[in-house]
Amino acid sequence: MQVTFKVYRKEPGKDAKPAYSNHTVELDGDATVMDGLLKIRDEQDATLAFRAACMRGYCGECMIRANGKTCTSCTSKVSSFTQKSPEVTVDPVRHMPVLKDLVSDWQSFMWDKVDRIKPWLEPVEPGADGESLLPESAMADIRKTMSCYYCGLCDEGCTVLPVDFDFIGPAALMKANRLIYDPRDTITRERFKLAEGPRGLWDCVHCFEASEHCPRGIMPTERIMAMRDKAFQMGIQNDSAARHHYSFAKSVKKSGWLDEGRLAIESAGLTNIKGLAKLVPIAAKALRRGKAPIPYIHHKSPGSAQVRRIIQKAEEKNR
Amino acid sequence: MQEFDVVIAGGGATGLRAAIAAKRAGASVALLTKIHPLRSNSGLACGGLNAPLGRDDSAAAFAEDIMLAGDGINDRDVVRAFTESARDDVIWLEKMGAPFNRDTDGRLDRRSLGANRHQRACYADDWTGHIVLQVLYEQFQRSGAAMFDDAFVTSLTVEGSQCIGLTALGLKAGKLDSFSARAVVLATGGFTQLYQPSTASNGTTGDGQSLACAAGARLMDMEMVQFHPTVFPGRYALMITEAALAEGAQIVNQKGEQVVLSDGMSREKLCLAIKNALQNGGGPVMLDLRPIGKDKLAARFAQTSELVKAAAGLDIAKDPIPIAPAAHRPIGGIETNARGETSIPGLFAAGECACNGVNGAGRLAGNILTEAIVFGRTAGEAAAAFAKSSPKKTFPTSRLSDEEKRLAALVGDSSANAGDSLGKVQADLGQLMSERAGLVRDANSLQGALDGIRGLRERYSKLRVRNASMVFNYDLISCLETGALLNMAGAVAAAAQARKESRGAHNRTDFTAHDDTNCKCHTIVSLAQGALQVATKPLEA
Repeated sequence: MQVTFKVYRKEPGKDAKPAYSNHTVELDGDATVMDGLLKIRDEQDATLAFRAACMRGYCGECMIRANGKTCTSCTSKVSSFTQKSPEVTVDPVRHMPVLKDLVSDWQSFMWDKVDRIKPWLEPVEPGADGESLLPESAMADIRKTMSCYYCGLCDEGCTVLPVDFDFIGPAALMKANRLIYDPRDTITRERFKLAEGPRGLWDCVHCFEASEHCPRGIMPTERIMAMRDKAFQMGIQNDSAARHHYSFAKSVKKSGWLDEGRLAIESAGLTNIKGLAKLVPIAAKALRRGKAPIPYIHHKSPGSAQVRRIIQKAEEKNR
Repeated sequence: MQEFDVVIAGGGATGLRAAIAAKRAGASVALLTKIHPLRSNSGLACGGLNAPLGRDDSAAAFAEDIMLAGDGINDRDVVRAFTESARDDVIWLEKMGAPFNRDTDGRLDRRSLGANRHQRACYADDWTGHIVLQVLYEQFQRSGAAMFDDAFVTSLTVEGSQCIGLTALGLKAGKLDSFSARAVVLATGGFTQLYQPSTASNGTTGDGQSLACAAGARLMDMEMVQFHPTVFPGRYALMITEAALAEGAQIVNQKGEQVVLSDGMSREKLCLAIKNALQNGGGPVMLDLRPIGKDKLAARFAQTSELVKAAAGLDIAKDPIPIAPAAHRPIGGIETNARGETSIPGLFAAGECACNGVNGAGRLAGNILTEAIVFGRTAGEAAAAFAKSSPKKTFPTSRLSDEEKRLAALVGDSSANAGDSLGKVQADLGQLMSERAGLVRDANSLQGALDGIRGLRERYSKLRVRNASMVFNYDLISCLETGALLNMAGAVAAAAQARKESRGAHNRTDFTAHDDTNCKCHTIVSLAQGALQVATKPLEA
């Protein structure tokens, strides 16, 4: 079959302007997008740069977008993109900086972020002979997380990363997850602190796009939520977002609804003088507009006892 | 110029393990790799890694199985060292966080792969290589060794018969750099791309073997290329892990009748049995995974299911999968001893690029990852020890400029290629080697291979790289890789021609039996005045 590829091109350097080049090649009916790219480089344009490694979908190195769909180019059949017209547009993965043509910068997009959480197990110093005795259920769950092949789809789908490139992203948080739930790791508390640092665990807006995008069903969003719960259970709530969640839940449990004054103070942190000082102008504005009654008294809502029972039931279920 | 005690080329399982060991031994370490470690070919090893952990198993029993698979030409002392270390090295991996499957007591569960007569392959469903690689990379990062990825090693620097470093092209900056080292470890992987179809990654092009040979090191048992029995055919053939057979899959014909009984058969024998079944005209031979059961397939063969679906459009829980043997991993490589020392002082090699005689003529299923962690560690430790005792030698700056000139000379006008291309040469080479120096060979086919390789070399010498920029110049990389593959092809065909017998992975239709009088030895290939020379080497005691 004859197929025309419209391929994204960009020279190295920040100022280079992207463009497209067109290449018509003859391919077998079962050819993959990778076959097409290899043929273009081999026969038409030797300057075309793209990544290739396992050629079978094992490794995630060759992620690109074909007609807008993000996929491994080595397993994606050209024929699945040419049903309407014999043209395939090939672009780099969204949100990932481009180094040259289809070669994206995995380093800044993903590896640097993984590095933020000390991405290795700190084991108990060797001493005991023989393997550790561990339950299969815990190991099976870690294997699930480690089936991740760093394809970047969760990060590409993430709705925070396009507005904040420095957000740690779901892929790196899954590395944290793999380690935090490993009974052999000795620095869980430290790792949590690293993960929940600025632009970390608590910046996820739980839009569930990561879980929607993950091709291996690892369910990053659910795991991020579980890590937040575990952080609470361990008494780790250093981030203002963590304190916000904690105060929110405490207030609703206590009074049946939200105590907004207390929420603002507790989110900032009772010992955080700088943070509290920032609230003063906001409080003044609220007073001026009549949005903060004086004296400020937070009453229980009608039916608060019922709300408390619902929360207690949920807590028991999750215990 | 970069300076380190130990420089490791290759970021797969072996290279990572070597780096961890060398760093732990106190050396300053750099690891260079052409692709990111987590994308390396080690990830393709799915089924498990052997270690004698069972109550009724032992290092001696493990050694016995290796010797049987090796078909008479293993080096006993290397086998002994390997089997005695395997248990501790696998347990180390477990302690570092490998989430291997567990039995009901919480101990490491094990499978029996291929010709192992004990259940000794620890495993992580069918992600074993993928997960082991991640654990090794985690510990590599913990070690603090330096990493240079997107770095392609272009030459080894040998001065006064000692290896003192290497030159490497950084693809991102497009810059050639020199790495001065007291010891160099090659862990660059195999050369399975020599065959089409094959099971291996794009980058398994024999780079390290080719560089070592050019630098004066010797290659051993290059005729021994292991084929894998259960592979879904295609240009990029998809290996289906032998763990499937271990867990109950059957090899059947179209009617569903079992055509090959795989119980305890070595890979070499299984490949021939499947090839015969295919030739006997009974139609396609298939791997039926359904006897494993739906639950176990879902729990333990998720990756196989995903990849088979992508490659073949088939569902392993419903459809038998057509299979044929395909080139899998070389057994031969750079000649070393158990410590990874090559014939060049300061140059070490381990893993799939090396050959230390542990496997003889056939590799036991489940050994490749154990080899990576045992021999990776050993080579890393040996390199660090060598670095400590070796005085610092000056890296001549002229080596870098010479290498720059050599690479620049490969670049030329695209009109010179006259319709031919590196891709076409590689494809023709793959077909030639599969047909003439593949699973079965004879004197005629091998002569055809040698003649064919000569012709391809001529074509290759006329080709020019048509990209003058050095930044992510994959045309240049392809040129260097194709050159390495042609060197590998010559070595494989010459060694196969010299071994006039059948043994292990080497099946000759003109010499169908062992010849213990003349051939119970290793084959050695080396370069002398630019020409390949074949010799023999007696087995170690």
